[in-house]
Amino acid sequence: MEKIKLTVNGKEITADGGKSILEIARGADIEIPALCHDGRTEVYGSCGLCAVEIEGVSRLFRACSTYAADGMVIKTDTERVRKNRKVALELLLSDHTGDCKPPCSLACPAGTDCQGYARLIADGDYRGAWDLIREKIPFPASIGRVCPRPCEEACRRQLAEEPMAIADLKKFAGDYFGAASPPPKKASPPTGKKAAVIGGGPGGLSAAYYLRLKGHDVTVFDMMPEAGGMLRYGIPEYRLPKDILRRETDLIVQAGVNIKTGVKVGRDVTLGELRGQYDAVIVAVGAWNSTGLRCPGEGLGGVIGGIDFLRGVAENRPVSIGAKIAVIGGGNTAMDACRTAKRLGAKEVCVVYRRTRGEMPAEELEIAEAEEEGINFRYLAAPVEVIGENGKAKAIRLQIMELGEPDKSGRRAPVPIPGKEEILPIDTVISAIGQKPDLSGFEEIEKTGRGTVFADERTFATNLTGVFAVGDATNKGADIAVSAIGEGGKCAEIADAFLSGGDVFLKTPYLVKSEKTAADFADVAKRPRVKPKYRPAAQRARDFKEINETVSEEEARKEAARCLECGCGDYYGCKLIKYAGEYEVRPERFGGTARRHKVPEDDHPEIIRNPEKCILCGLCVRICDEVEGISALGFCGRGFDTVVKPAFDKRLRDTECNSCGKCAEACPTGAIMAKSALFNGQSAQHDL
Amino acid sequence: MRITVGKGSCGIAAGADAVFDTLKGKAPCPVAVTGCIGTCHLEPIVSVDDGETLQTYVKVDEKGAGEIVKMLNGEENRAADYRRDLDCGSNRIALRNCGIINPESIDEYIAKDGYEAVKKCFSMSPEQVIEEIKISGLRGRGGAGFPTWFKWRAARDSAGDKKYVICNADEGDPGAFMDRAIIEGDPHAVIEGMIAAAFAIGADEGIVYVRAEYPLAIVRLGKALEQARKKGFLGENPFGSDFSFDISVKAGAGAFVCGEETALIASLEGERGMPRLKPPFPAQKGYRKKPSNINNVETYANVPWIIRNGGKAFASIGTEDSKGSKVFALTGKIANGGLAEVPMGCTVRDVVYKFGGGVRGGKELKAVQLGGPSGGCIPKGLTDVEIDYKSLAATGAIMGSGGMVVMDEDTCMVDMARFFLDFTCKESCGKCTHCRIGNKRMLEILERICGGGGKNGDIELLTELGEEIKAGSLCALGQTAPNPVLTTIRYFRNEYEEHINEKRCAARQCKPLLAYSVDKEKCMGCAVCARKCPGGAIAGTVRSAHSIDAEKCVKCGNCADVCKFGAINVK
Repeated sequence: MEKIKLTVNGKEITADGGKSILEIARGADIEIPALCHDGRTEVYGSCGLCAVEIEGVSRLFRACSTYAADGMVIKTDTERVRKNRKVALELLLSDHTGDCKPPCSLACPAGTDCQGYARLIADGDYRGAWDLIREKIPFPASIGRVCPRPCEEACRRQLAEEPMAIADLKKFAGDYFGAASPPPKKASPPTGKKAAVIGGGPGGLSAAYYLRLKGHDVTVFDMMPEAGGMLRYGIPEYRLPKDILRRETDLIVQAGVNIKTGVKVGRDVTLGELRGQYDAVIVAVGAWNSTGLRCPGEGLGGVIGGIDFLRGVAENRPVSIGAKIAVIGGGNTAMDACRTAKRLGAKEVCVVYRRTRGEMPAEELEIAEAEEEGINFRYLAAPVEVIGENGKAKAIRLQIMELGEPDKSGRRAPVPIPGKEEILPIDTVISAIGQKPDLSGFEEIEKTGRGTVFADERTFATNLTGVFAVGDATNKGADIAVSAIGEGGKCAEIADAFLSGGDVFLKTPYLVKSEKTAADFADVAKRPRVKPKYRPAAQRARDFKEINETVSEEEARKEAARCLECGCGDYYGCKLIKYAGEYEVRPERFGGTARRHKVPEDDHPEIIRNPEKCILCGLCVRICDEVEGISALGFCGRGFDTVVKPAFDKRLRDTECNSCGKCAEACPTGAIMAKSALFNGQSAQHDL
Repeated sequence: MRITVGKGSCGIAAGADAVFDTLKGKAPCPVAVTGCIGTCHLEPIVSVDDGETLQTYVKVDEKGAGEIVKMLNGEENRAADYRRDLDCGSNRIALRNCGIINPESIDEYIAKDGYEAVKKCFSMSPEQVIEEIKISGLRGRGGAGFPTWFKWRAARDSAGDKKYVICNADEGDPGAFMDRAIIEGDPHAVIEGMIAAAFAIGADEGIVYVRAEYPLAIVRLGKALEQARKKGFLGENPFGSDFSFDISVKAGAGAFVCGEETALIASLEGERGMPRLKPPFPAQKGYRKKPSNINNVETYANVPWIIRNGGKAFASIGTEDSKGSKVFALTGKIANGGLAEVPMGCTVRDVVYKFGGGVRGGKELKAVQLGGPSGGCIPKGLTDVEIDYKSLAATGAIMGSGGMVVMDEDTCMVDMARFFLDFTCKESCGKCTHCRIGNKRMLEILERICGGGGKNGDIELLTELGEEIKAGSLCALGQTAPNPVLTTIRYFRNEYEEHINEKRCAARQCKPLLAYSVDKEKCMGCAVCARKCPGGAIAGTVRSAHSIDAEKCVKCGNCADVCKFGAINVK
């Protein structure tokens, strides 16, 4: 074979003659994108992505079909080429409908692949499920118990009847191995870099764990006697038994993270010292101070913060609260506080909330559980004074409210009814109206107007080089645990890049999303959601044992099989979305309509098709024809309305199809898939 | 004495069959058929040749045919009412016999030196034939204008015993009918050109790919082929040569894209009509993977003339860049629609005014669309451009296959661009991303603009998309589809801006942008408009000014049409 010399992107290449530019470039590790190219078939040239420039010629060339000649000077990555490719991708995506990722996963602040682990559980692969959850959440058993389940709010199964019990599946997977947990993932080889994480709560431990997996030497400093943060000292035992949490924090230690407890920055060590000793510092100190009641008498004895109350109980400190308790606030901390107070023996526990039940920020399930346990609720009331006697609280004066116009949050604002007040006799007032971080020791760090740490939203960077911050202590303040976990995981990516001398920031990748209504699921057979077994309310309100059971294996598998699998089964193998990310596409700028088809086209025992995802690269048609010698699929219609399907509207199973699966394998998107490959493996990959 | 009746498709459509039947039954001399002479707007045309003079009668109906019969019988008649001297241009090459000879008679073709070129070829070497074509400067008349000799040379040089000559008669541009007229009027010219090409490249098989919507052309071509075979011009060893060649006809199913040569080949092979990547070019690997030469009808029709008269004679006509003459099909808002064969180098204005008689109804010329949906528009101010491949390309239009659509002041250029793009969208094969989805998105944007939903940035988006579609499409259909939009943006940007910014269509073509109202001063209260309004949108009492309810108005324009007082304002 005659040898030719050519230049690609300034690089001199010697290659065999008679080859296309695409083949030669790929042989020299120069990536030219292409969606319709497959060496097994004749060149086709439909996708338009492999455009390149050849010096001396004004037009663009398709690299797949242009034969390289001696002396050619080729540029594969110029602005002009990139623009043409980007437009091609945007056009393809403007006619590509579906859901790259399922709504549950998109709603999860940690981006957990709920659909993936539901499938693994349904298939009985519990180890796979455990591993997959732990790609994003190091605490499946704990978070499965405490999470307010944003995933379930987004779950499309509710359009059929009820959302999936995603958190119960997570709890099941987390509990399945019990004390015999498989070992954590092996960390990458040591990088020689050291990182300090301040705060051993869910955010800090997550950051530490994922950073450790990258091969860094990570030490967590925690002020408390034991790691776990609010999961340990905020969430009561009856919701999250601490031996379960310990099992999961132990795995983090097993992964090689050093945890130094009883060390408080500002008291035992300074931030400056840590910065001197470590290459990176992640601040994840949480929000441990309760917000005061901001009314006369808030300083009286018998007025305590919700956080302090829960922490005291968790630390087994003697807490004396008396018989009549008022808990102020309507969030999850208020629910934890009132139910804990009840368990401590209080006769009457009353939650005082300034709006009504519908506006309460606490999770519906927890409100219901509290009601079952005999907690009273005083809605439309706000404390205006704590009335004391001998320096100790004995009653609160409540201003009675009514609901006015909706406020910024969209909820109707409570408005005082002039002159309408009540007196509520109490022994203890627990203030659970908010929490804020204690940032003593972090004076050098820039704060927000709310008194939290200012952390860049795309990099978690603070004003101090090499110091990052995540979780409740930052920006908008306290949030749910899984948010802190999500931030911790992402921050680990950023900090890893920083430690490796790189520079990355969080991007919001382009994803194809669709809107669905109940009509789309009208044909789905109704199957009720699994309900975990609860201990009787009267019994559970007397002790701190866990209130409910983990669902059984049989229940879990049945529940997992309810998943509608909204996310594309080919997301992790999809070339289209990979290029879309690389070219930062904005297909919406073209507007326009997309082709509508019956989807999925389920007319074959082993192959499932989705014409709405088809980009008409023709690979399936050509592979079937040119490689298998069968023409089970062909093009029908013309122009924009062209569709790939069997001739004469036959079902695929009624064609000559030999089920070789090559079409599915060659499809660059999720338009044709082998049913067996739908979610096993592919969806289980990690996409950090 | 002989009578001929123009029975091309245009003549038949105008009623030539009845005229022919009348004459045939009553005239005291032979009555023959001929093809379209080019002045389609004057059909049916009857010629009376008494051996010395040739007199033509136009727009002849059955009554007119009766008058001609009376005249021939020496009776009193009014035949003179139909008399008109036709000027179809002298020195026609491709159309030399059209409208003159009987296309169904090979003898009439032979009488016009037919098949002399083939005979001459056999006295030359194939190389000499190619050289003669090279000297002529003939370029492909189908649209791309590729030098004909180069294709022939490439096909000749390709290795292989089996080669094909293919004639592209898949004329698809809206408003183009040159090729149809040639096949209907002079099929032997095409056959003779194909034989010459086959001899030059060494092919033994020819195929004419003709659209099934041309039934008359298919019939006449079939008859001509049969006659040529009988005469021994086709088949084994014509004129005692050691060359053999025959031609078959394949009717295409009417896909515009099959005019693209690789799609045409796919269609011939029974595959879906989709263009493929070049190289390999058809001259290397064409029909059935064998070297194939593909030329358009008009190109082949020029060949016998060139062989007979020499390449130099052809090259002496035209400009430096473009030789010979070109046939144009004049349509649209033209006074005299039809075919015009003009020497290269004459101006677009000449074609429109000298051959076409200017704009119909005495209106102002606005623009001329050249090259059909692949072409571009030339505004009135640029119509002095010479007809020449290079000069036309410089305006953003193309020579194309010869469609010339004339637009007057009432044409909305945005709507016109939308019309052509709608055509290409429907005719895209669907293979390339840029063409399949890009043109669709451009069309949607244009529809939005014409519908009153134009947005800031639309012009820029159209321009960007258009440029990327041109750069990213595989075949000429996609590479040229945005041209009508891009050239109208170039020359009539103000119309786009009016549509987008002011929601106004000055040509009053984009209905959703129109607002009908009554001029209270002019309205006499006759109530005719109210009676003609299909939407019941016009109210008022008799003899007092009426008014139009904009909510109910369907913008049909009936009111403006029927108002005798010019009291309906359209904005």
